[in-house]
Amino acid sequence: MYLYILRGGGFSFGKNLIENNGWLVILKGLEVTLVISFTALLLGTIIGALFCSMHNSRIRILNITAKIVIAFLRGSPVLLLLMIFYYVVFANSRIDAIYIAVIAFSLNSGAHIAEIMRSALSAVDKKQLEAARMLGFSKIGAFMAITLPQAARIAKPVYQSATINLIQWTSVVGYVTITDLTRTVNNIGARTGDPFFALFFGILIYLAISYLVNFLFSFQGKRKLTT
Amino acid sequence: MIRTVNLCKRFGELTVFKDVNIHVQKGECVAVIGPSGTGKSVLFRTLAMLEKPDYGNVLVNGRDITLKDVNINKVRERFGMVYQGFHLFSHLNVLENITLAPLKVKKLGKTEAKNRAKELLSLVGLSDKHSSFPHQLSGGQQQRVAIARSLAMDPDIILFDEPTSALDPSMTGEVLAIIRKLAKSGLTMMISTHEMRFAQDVADRVFFMDEGGVYEEGTADQIFNNPKRERTRMFIRKLKVFSYSIISRGFDMVSMNVQIEMFCQKYNVEFKKINYIQLVLEELIIEVIGSLQKDEQPQIDFSIEFSEERDEIEITFTYRGKEFNPFVINDDEEHLGVILVTGISKSTNYKYVDGFNTININI
Ligand SMILES: Nc1ncnc2c1ncn2[C@@H]1O[C@H](COP(=O)(O)OP(=O)(O)O)[C@@H](O)[C@H]1O
Ligand SMILES: [Mg+2]
Repeated sequence: MYLYILRGGGFSFGKNLIENNGWLVILKGLEVTLVISFTALLLGTIIGALFCSMHNSRIRILNITAKIVIAFLRGSPVLLLLMIFYYVVFANSRIDAIYIAVIAFSLNSGAHIAEIMRSALSAVDKKQLEAARMLGFSKIGAFMAITLPQAARIAKPVYQSATINLIQWTSVVGYVTITDLTRTVNNIGARTGDPFFALFFGILIYLAISYLVNFLFSFQGKRKLTT
Repeated sequence: MIRTVNLCKRFGELTVFKDVNIHVQKGECVAVIGPSGTGKSVLFRTLAMLEKPDYGNVLVNGRDITLKDVNINKVRERFGMVYQGFHLFSHLNVLENITLAPLKVKKLGKTEAKNRAKELLSLVGLSDKHSSFPHQLSGGQQQRVAIARSLAMDPDIILFDEPTSALDPSMTGEVLAIIRKLAKSGLTMMISTHEMRFAQDVADRVFFMDEGGVYEEGTADQIFNNPKRERTRMFIRKLKVFSYSIISRGFDMVSMNVQIEMFCQKYNVEFKKINYIQLVLEELIIEVIGSLQKDEQPQIDFSIEFSEERDEIEITFTYRGKEFNPFVINDDEEHLGVILVTGISKSTNYKYVDGFNTININI
């Protein structure tokens, strides 16, 4: 590999990234990947909170529905879910494939995040909640002041890796005609006949995104501790 | 201040207590004692409506707080609770633990809440710990912060539920000293505790809980020195006297010593003295077992009693068998143990009646 990089590295760089404005195409793919990932993360977090509160609800119907839906979503491969949405559910609609991907990934990560939230909430010391109630906090007030910040702290590392998982799993959206980062580098590699460089470059970008995500999370955590 | 009318609490089949009618006056300190599992914690939790009573009422300053239209959050602002397990907010530091409720519930200003918290911290002797987190503190320190957290809401009454039971014996003192100070300052409080000397010293009145309710109540002096009812008497006597029986050569000496130690610590007996007691008992047991026939099993009963007036330990040691006085050394054998026992003891006394040897020792 060293030899490859030494002899052909510069050449590959030019061929893949400069010719035909390769880097612009890659940037476009990166944008699609990021848009799908972060919209799905946002919606997934909302859906997760919803599923989680349904699951913890005392109303049986909600509780059972949440259990079944979460089990189904967590148990099915996200690619199959995506294909069902694309080829079956929305087959006859004119909705953009990117929206369909956002829906599929939101639901999938929503189910995972619901479980992350549920286990974090159940790990919080109930006695502290009661202590807050004894100081005059309302049910909701005590939840916001005690349970939520503690649960968030417990959930953070798992949520962080769920985020990175989600970003990497969006690399399958090429199956439903979306030109994301993975598909872009694949196309470029195919066109230039030098797939190694293009694909490897793609991995580097994913790696950089992961680092960025981890950095953002660590920044958040430190700020929380000092305030 | 707080009164209950025919209060009853059940968990399914189990009736924890029923027909509880208590009355705690403003400024009073009431100790709640009784064996474990008799409902002391549940009573406190029911008073604060953390458990719904099955029937009966709780009146706070004449107002029935079991009614549906009562805003229980408002009532609880005036109720403090200090738990056996502290339950400090683990994500907040000491100062934030104390200021949280004043800021968010009472809507106090930031500086005002902070200044009050600092006052309270100095009251509980932890001024230098304001920015520590709960897990960085010892149990005794955590409990003192929990007390300060309660006080920050200026409660009308504080319920202390076994505030020192989870603490090392070395730390109970610091917590009890603060509670004592609060009682002296006129704070209304109820405290469930196994620290009987403390209860006797500090409590204006004592409730003894057993048999599904408050079994007997009275002044500290009445309950501890002159209990009227059978179960109270038994409980008080058990507190004052430690008894132990040995009926086999293979008895568990380690467990015996641990139990002796735990009993003595309740009375703050010094470490050296506890060692003496254990030593004396071990020597006596060895002597007695040594005097037995080969296939004979021992039958030894002893009790340890702590006499507060004379600050003395009285050991009564009884064993069945032929007359055998270990203090009479009639041959050339080395009886170092016996010499040791006589050396440590203030006085020893032996008698033999109806097949029972009895030794009384004061240390
Ligand atoms: N939440 C609960 N559900 C069922 N039983 C309970 C509950 N809380 C307490 N109990 C029972 O009530 C009885 C009294 O308990 P507790 O008040 O903790 O005793 P104490 O504080 O005097 O040691 C015990 O038998 C206990 O098992
Ligand atoms: Mg208890």
